[in-house]
Amino acid sequence: MPFAAVAVLFSGAAICHSQATAPPLQTPQAYRQITDEIGRTIRIPQSIHRIVSLAPNLTETIYALGVQDRLVGDTDYCDFPVEAQQKIKVGGAVNPSIEAIAALHPDLVLVTRSLNRLETVQALADIGIPSYATDPHTVDAIIASIARLADVLGASETGSTLAVDLEHQLSILHDRIASLSPRRVLFIVWTEPLISIGNDTFIADALRHAGAISVIDSSQNWPQINLEEVVRLQPEFLIFVESHSGAQPHSAEALADLPGWRLLNAVRNRRYATISDAINRPAPRLVSAIADLARQLHPEAFAEGPQNDKEQAKPPASSLSQSLAPNDLGAPSKEQTCAR
Amino acid sequence: MRPLTLRRLFLQCSLLAAVLFVVVVVALKLGAVPVSLYGLGRDLISVLLHQTKALSSDYGMIVIEIRLPRILLAIVVGASLSVAGTSFQALLRNPLADPYVLGVSSGAALGAVLALIAEPHLALPMWLAALFTPFGAFLGAAATIAAVYFLGQRQGQIDSSTLLLAGIISASFLSAIIMFLMTTLSGRDFRGMAFWLMGDLSSSLQASLRWVLGIGFFAAAGAIYTTAGDLNLLLAGEKEAMHLGVDVRRVRIVVYIAASILTGLAVSVSGAIGYVGLLVPHVMRLLFGSDHRTLLPTAAFGGAIALVLADTLARTVVAPSELPVGAMTAIAGAPLFIYLLRRGSA
Repeated sequence: MPFAAVAVLFSGAAICHSQATAPPLQTPQAYRQITDEIGRTIRIPQSIHRIVSLAPNLTETIYALGVQDRLVGDTDYCDFPVEAQQKIKVGGAVNPSIEAIAALHPDLVLVTRSLNRLETVQALADIGIPSYATDPHTVDAIIASIARLADVLGASETGSTLAVDLEHQLSILHDRIASLSPRRVLFIVWTEPLISIGNDTFIADALRHAGAISVIDSSQNWPQINLEEVVRLQPEFLIFVESHSGAQPHSAEALADLPGWRLLNAVRNRRYATISDAINRPAPRLVSAIADLARQLHPEAFAEGPQNDKEQAKPPASSLSQSLAPNDLGAPSKEQTCAR
Repeated sequence: MRPLTLRRLFLQCSLLAAVLFVVVVVALKLGAVPVSLYGLGRDLISVLLHQTKALSSDYGMIVIEIRLPRILLAIVVGASLSVAGTSFQALLRNPLADPYVLGVSSGAALGAVLALIAEPHLALPMWLAALFTPFGAFLGAAATIAAVYFLGQRQGQIDSSTLLLAGIISASFLSAIIMFLMTTLSGRDFRGMAFWLMGDLSSSLQASLRWVLGIGFFAAAGAIYTTAGDLNLLLAGEKEAMHLGVDVRRVRIVVYIAASILTGLAVSVSGAIGYVGLLVPHVMRLLFGSDHRTLLPTAAFGGAIALVLADTLARTVVAPSELPVGAMTAIAGAPLFIYLLRRGSA
């Protein structure tokens, strides 16, 4: 297998010095068997040196685990952290180029069930490239999934530290808002047509952690909702997700002038919460997005001093990430020292 | 052909208007919140008298602000597509022609998408911005029908099957471009791919757009109606019509432009909804004959009835979720179309 040898040499050269703890030139045939989250048993090299990520949340997780130097390729949509945009792109998550992936000679390709297709996994298996699939449906499962992925990638220690930290943040949050009654919210994926989230999505679970409950009761993951139904249910808050371009034709303000929408009390009273698109990604940053949302929905629980008591109107979207979650950007402080 | 009597036209139209009225009342009653007929009547009157405080229930506003506008939108879009379909069928002398099959709807959708992409860069005044998307859709529709018309000719003659193939190919080509744009511009939050390719009536329209839609419909449908007599003569063939004194060129231009306006308006507010423009004129022809002086108005009523029914189903069968209305029209329309085809009436 000359290719494998070349690949190992390359990866040895690519990883940075502080982490280059002896690239295993001796036994590239050392394999182990693991079971991934969709129950497939896969055979992967003992240590993973070349990773291709096919989902933005997995790319984020790799950076959070500090193993980004072993990431040799990711998708067009992998935009966080910014450095992830510099990695070699293998196409989109749904339709990546199998050839481009093969050309990178990965030891392991990471996929996630909600985004990637089974055909991609099979096409990779046909050419002998193993892939590991994650499939978390709740916030707790996402944290467990991160720790488990850390084990697979040989970063168990960072993984368990990160998981403990994320759980700690969630429990602090839980203590603050547990006594409050949950806000009834409409999570808006799209305004025209109106699309929200179903019960089984991890976002619905994230809302519960943020002290909110979706008014939409649907078994579909991304149900298109009749506006009448929303007016009948009268959610207390509308939750918008910031888009990258910031170009929303029906921004929160414009909704107030639209027939139908203006019947919503939440629109009349401008009870809007806007959160970063981290809420859409089952990755470590999700926890800080949850905290940010909780702060907007339950400002009274976060009022630090008496002077803040009246300041309920519009909590700035970003105020939280520093105060509550210093470590939320994926514990990069130690690990990123070796990035250039 | 029987001579047109005002009485016959009036009878047919009032029959269909009565059916439309019943369908609208049923559609108004069905939905997420309950409403009684009595309360509905009272609410309508109080809204007309600008006494919104006196509504029968909290839900009154839901019906008036959400359900009623959506039903009115279905009426205008259904009538537009049906009249456009009738016109294309007459002009191309092809009973299978319709905005969707000919790719005109896809062209309009692409025009609307391009207009939406360009709009933020142009700094248009408010009143023009409301017109911009429908205008883009109209240009897309007009360009597509022109292209399909030329592609559909063989040795200078319109060839029925070549024309339909040209339309179907154009539709799939233009849809592919829409998919491409939607995929590459994934960060932009305008209506999704399903809206443009399948059609959807759930949008809340700005007041200005409602005016554009209403005025545009009556102007374009009126323009087509002035050619109704000529369209009857055209059924015999273009040369024959010319010998009978029809200014074929003028009729063709008027009808193509007006039908493109109708399609463009409909698509810019509701996406590409199929089968209404194809089937409704067929059914109306079976019921009331093929005189365009009665066919055009009856097709307008028929299209309105069909689309209100389809949209009511689309928003109630899987409540609280809903289906794209285009899926409903295709589910109901395709079998009906095959039935008509097998009967040989097509």
